[in-house]
Order: sequence, then C-alpha cells, then structure tokens
Amino acid sequence: MEGDGVLMDYIKNTISDIPTEYIEDYKQNWLKCKLKDSKDILTITEKLKKLGLRSISTISPTDFPNENKIEMNYFFEDLQNRKNCWVKCDIPREFDKCKIDSITPIMPSANWHEREAYSMFGVDFINHPDLRPIIVSQDYYGKAPYRADFDWRAHEANQLNNLKAIVDDFKSDESKNEKILDPLGSDTMLNWGPTHPASGPIRLKVHCDGEKVISVDPEIGYVWRALEDLVTRKDFIGAIVAVERLCFMDNINSMTGYCMAVEEIAGVEITPFAKWMRVLLGECARVSSHFMGLGNFFNTMGLHTLMLWNMDVREYFLDVLESYSGARIATAAIEPGGVRYPLDISIFKELQAAIDKFDSVIGDIEAIFVKNPTMKLRASKVGIISKNEAIDFALSGPVARASGVKTDIRLDEPYAAYNEVKMDYITAQNGSAADRFRVIFEELKQSVDIIRQAKQKIEEGVASGEFDPQKDHMVKVPKKLPAGEAISRVEWARGEVLMHLVTTEKAKSPYRLKMRAPSFNHTMMLNRLLADKTLSDIPLVFGSMYICQGDLDR
Amino acid sequence: MLKILDFFEYAKSESLWMAHFCTGCCSLEMAAAMGPRYDWERYGYMPTPTPRQADILMITGLVSKKILPALLRTYAQMGEPKYVVALGACSFDGGPYNDSLSVIKNPTEILPADVFIAGCPPKPEAIIEGLEQVKAKIKAGIPSAASQGGLWKEMEF
Repeated sequence: MEGDGVLMDYIKNTISDIPTEYIEDYKQNWLKCKLKDSKDILTITEKLKKLGLRSISTISPTDFPNENKIEMNYFFEDLQNRKNCWVKCDIPREFDKCKIDSITPIMPSANWHEREAYSMFGVDFINHPDLRPIIVSQDYYGKAPYRADFDWRAHEANQLNNLKAIVDDFKSDESKNEKILDPLGSDTMLNWGPTHPASGPIRLKVHCDGEKVISVDPEIGYVWRALEDLVTRKDFIGAIVAVERLCFMDNINSMTGYCMAVEEIAGVEITPFAKWMRVLLGECARVSSHFMGLGNFFNTMGLHTLMLWNMDVREYFLDVLESYSGARIATAAIEPGGVRYPLDISIFKELQAAIDKFDSVIGDIEAIFVKNPTMKLRASKVGIISKNEAIDFALSGPVARASGVKTDIRLDEPYAAYNEVKMDYITAQNGSAADRFRVIFEELKQSVDIIRQAKQKIEEGVASGEFDPQKDHMVKVPKKLPAGEAISRVEWARGEVLMHLVTTEKAKSPYRLKMRAPSFNHTMMLNRLLADKTLSDIPLVFGSMYICQGDLDR
Repeated sequence: MLKILDFFEYAKSESLWMAHFCTGCCSLEMAAAMGPRYDWERYGYMPTPTPRQADILMITGLVSKKILPALLRTYAQMGEPKYVVALGACSFDGGPYNDSLSVIKNPTEILPADVFIAGCPPKPEAIIEGLEQVKAKIKAGIPSAASQGGLWKEMEF
C-alpha cells in the first residue's frame, strides 16, 4: 500500500461497515466520521492502520457539560500519501464512567497524547501501557483542570499548599532514586535538567549504568502555561496573544494556523495580498527559528561559534519583523481576516539587506559547519530514526524529512499562498543527527528562496495596482462567530501544527482550542533514541531533535 | 579617594555572572543580548552553567508552578552577594498569562527582585540597561531585595 496511496472513497467504503452517525468529506483529502459507539475505536484504528493511516496526529477531547458528554476527536494521518481521517466519538462525563479503549498498543504515536487527555480531562484509557499524568503540575493530578466546570481560581487560592505538592513529589523521587543507587555497582538515576544549559526547562530522568544510558524518562511541563485553557477566556483576536506564545522562535506560523481555523468557521476568504504577506512573514520567522536550531545543535557539541554567527544574521530578519509590526519576536502580526498592519513597502529595503547578509555568510556556514568532518563523525551515527519509526511516531517537519518521509504541509495541504510558491520536499535518507542538521540547513536556503518569491510577487502586485498595501491587508471578521468546528494545519518551523477549534453559537471566544505541537512527539522518541547510548550523547540527540519547551508544554 | 571597600564593590559590580537558568520565553531575548549585535560581554556580563559561580539570577519571564521550587533551589545555591533580576511582564504579575491556571502570578513576591525590566519580551537593549542598574545598586552598597524578605524564606523547596 505504501507509496501508492488509496483513494478516499476506498477508505470510506472500508470503514462504512462500522456503525457510524455520519461519514462525510471534510476538506480535500480529509474524511470526517462519528462513531455511534466508542467501543468501535479499536476496530476503526486497526482498519485505518491497514489502509496506511499509521500515525495519530493528536487526540483532542472536548468537554460538553450540558450534554453530559466528552467528545473525543482522533486525527489519523497518512504522512506519506496526504490522507487524513478525523474520527469522533462520545463518552460519558462522570469520572468513573469516562473510559475508552487505548489505541496506544496499535499506534504508538498516541501514547503521550492519551496521557495528556488523561491529565487534562480525566479520560481513562483502558489498557494504556503507562497511564501517568503528563505536563500538569503535581497539584492537578487527578483533577482534570481543562474541564469546563473546573474552578481553578478556588484551586489557585491556596498557592503554598499547591507548591508543597510539587516539592513533596520531587523529594519522594529523590528518596526513590536513593534506593536505585547501587553501592557496589554503578546504577544511578541522574536528573538531566530541569534547566540544563543545552536545553530549556525539561527534566530527563536518566537511569544509567556508569556512562551507559539504560532508559530516559522525560518529565515535562516546566513551562506549562495552559494556553489551551487560557484562550477560552479571551476573544478571538485576543487569543492570538496566547497562540503566538506557543513558541517565540517561530511565532508567525502558529498564528496563521489559528487564524485559518477562525476564518473557516466565519466563512471569510482573505485577500491574495494578505496570503502573500503570511508567506513572507512566516518564512522570516522560520528562518530565525532555524538559525537558532542550527546554532543550538553545534552548542550541544561544545562549539558556540555557529550560534553567534547565526544570531548575527537572525537579527536582520528580526529587523524586518520589527519594522513591520513594532516587535521583534512577539509580533502579533497575523490576525483573523488577514495580517494586522498595512504594509509600508519601504521595509523591503530591510528585507533585501537581510537577504544580502544571508547570502554573504551562508557559503561560509556551509563550508565550515555543514561539511565539517568532525561533526559528521560525531553526529552521523547517533540518534538514528528509521523511516518506519518516523511514521509510527508521527514525527513531522525537518525531523521526519531527515528520515526520508516526504511530508510538508506547505505542499501536502497548501495554505496561504503556498500553492503558488515554487518549492520541493527537502529530505535525507538516514535519519541521523547529522541528517537532521543538514535538512534544517537546506530548509534555511529554501525559506530565503520563498521570501524572494513572495517579495517579488508583492512588489509586482503593488506596482501593477493589483494589491493595495494600505487596504488589502485585512477583511473584516465578525466579532461573534457561529457554532462550528474547524481543523487547520500549518507547517511550523519544527513540524506540523494542528489547530482544532470549536465554537458555540454567537461565541465571542473559542470554546475549545487544541494545539498539536511537534515537539511533543519528538520528545516521546528520546527514550528510544538514547537507550544504550552514552551520557555524552544526550545533549547532542536532544539538540538535534529540534525541541522547544514552549510548544512541548503549551 | 577610592576606599578599599569601594574597590571591592566596584570589582563585584563589573563582572556580573548570570546563572544559566531559563524559565520562560524571555530567555530568547536574553540569548539575543548575548549575541554579536548587542554583546553584553562588553559590560562584563556572562552566563555560567553553575549557580555556585553566579552573581545574578534572572527570572526570565514566566515562572510556572512546576519550575518555581527549582528556581528557589538555584537561588539558594548561589553564593553571596546575589541579586535577582526580573525580566518581562510575566515576572511582575503573570503578564499575558495572568489568568492562566498554571503560572505563578506573584513570582517576585516569593523571590523579590532588585530590578524589573519591562517588556513582553524586553528588548536586548532594555535588558542591558536593566543590568546596568544592578551595577549601580551594587556600587551604592544597597543590599539585595531578596535578602531583605520575601515568601521564599518561609517556604520549603
């Protein structure tokens, strides 16, 4: 089946013998269905897996207290053949009945997503291999903080008690680790983090035997801001402040994803000019993110030169964002309906300066760092992800492409003006740390090429009068949206971001927004990649996975 | 005339090392301040991976509940004299996460800061300017705010 792809109708026919309320086409290459009985989730998962939809993008529960149900949304994905299936089913809301079969034994990529649904909504997954809370701080264990009726203000009132729960947990961990510590041998539990200089706040509990790593258990949630809960208290425009803080390294593309979902529900089509602006700004943000990623990779090997070089070039691209929006990284520049500000065409001078600067150093970076024999020796044998693993664990972005998976939302499901952009998949074969480095590097060049195309297009459009940079940037989106539900996907710097937005009738703010962020799946891989390696490989593999704690924890 | 004690204050203030501890998104702009364009090493600032050698602890933006004990532990491990710099809106009152259920809204009530740097996130120029104010504070011999009070003294971490 692989490489060939099956028609959507065939998928439809195959799953049609399962009792469903409806099966319908959603978007191009998207199928949407609702199961009558949540017990059928295993059957449909197995069928979809046979059809090639082997990855689960995310699992998003939505809480409806009035109807006394939690609606589960599963997003199945075929990374190679651009097929998607959105499966819904209802489960009861009471804590003791809120149960559904775990699909992790069939699809390993669901593992952490099920744990997240368990921590946030209290959904119990039957037969899950490792159902522990994830992301939430210890005081929220077993409390389902994302449920609509959870009173978090009352919970937050006794702050010191809550903090004590966290400290107690850490101390009990410590005493547990003492027991593992083997006085004669060399078994040790090592805390890599919470803030290792090579990473942001993440804690890897490394069980090691001397130099050799036995297992790695990432504990995450150190920058948990509960963004998905936060947006439900903001209006549709105010929510972009939360959405862009998914991660500051590439903040434009996450806003684009959210705005596309809002526009879909509102039924608004944005202007071609705004589409091109989204491409232009998005690629500037991607460049600045990739530069940090590349620099961080060499940082983890102990060479800081590349980071400093990269930051120098990155500043020029931030200048463009600053001139356009007034802020370097918290731009809030994309809004439902288009882009926030009219364009002053004179910022293209700065953009040209940035491109010139990029051109002047990229050759040196390639010669000195990308073709560096020491780097290749060090990095081409660690952190190897096979193509099958990448698909099974639903990796995306540069990490998946480095393993040879042809996936890029910009090409698979073109949004903004990407259908007019000339570009191609950038892939590598082996999926090692060195391959990921090279893919990110090649993507930098690709992004700058896209910036050139967008710049030329906008300049031509403005000159010919096709675009009006003072008026075309925005179409009006009503403040109150109708009831609806939408999915949007964008190719973020680190991979696929999926936004699942639910609104109620005459809503002023999102009812539910689920953000699927790529680092979550990438961190899930760490245990597989690091087992049997040495301690010194941890920073390198971590750096090469292009993980940002911002989107890991949300 | 420069007194000997003044000289020590001067020497302390001119080579401030910062504990490499990132709690939130402002650390990106802090990285930019370390970068070639702003280059804070001109002023004697430098990140250090261990708290034992550090003089300043930066609260880089938001402090989530889970990271707070680690932040306090890092502060406790630093040698005297030590100063706290609060970066961004979040470290003042939670900033954009003010009504988030997992972010500490009063981090500087728990660990009082000597200098607040405004912005979300503050620009690198602002960060350097803020650090210059720490320098001035040390030169004037003013004791650090966290040594004078704060909830952290009563907390277990």
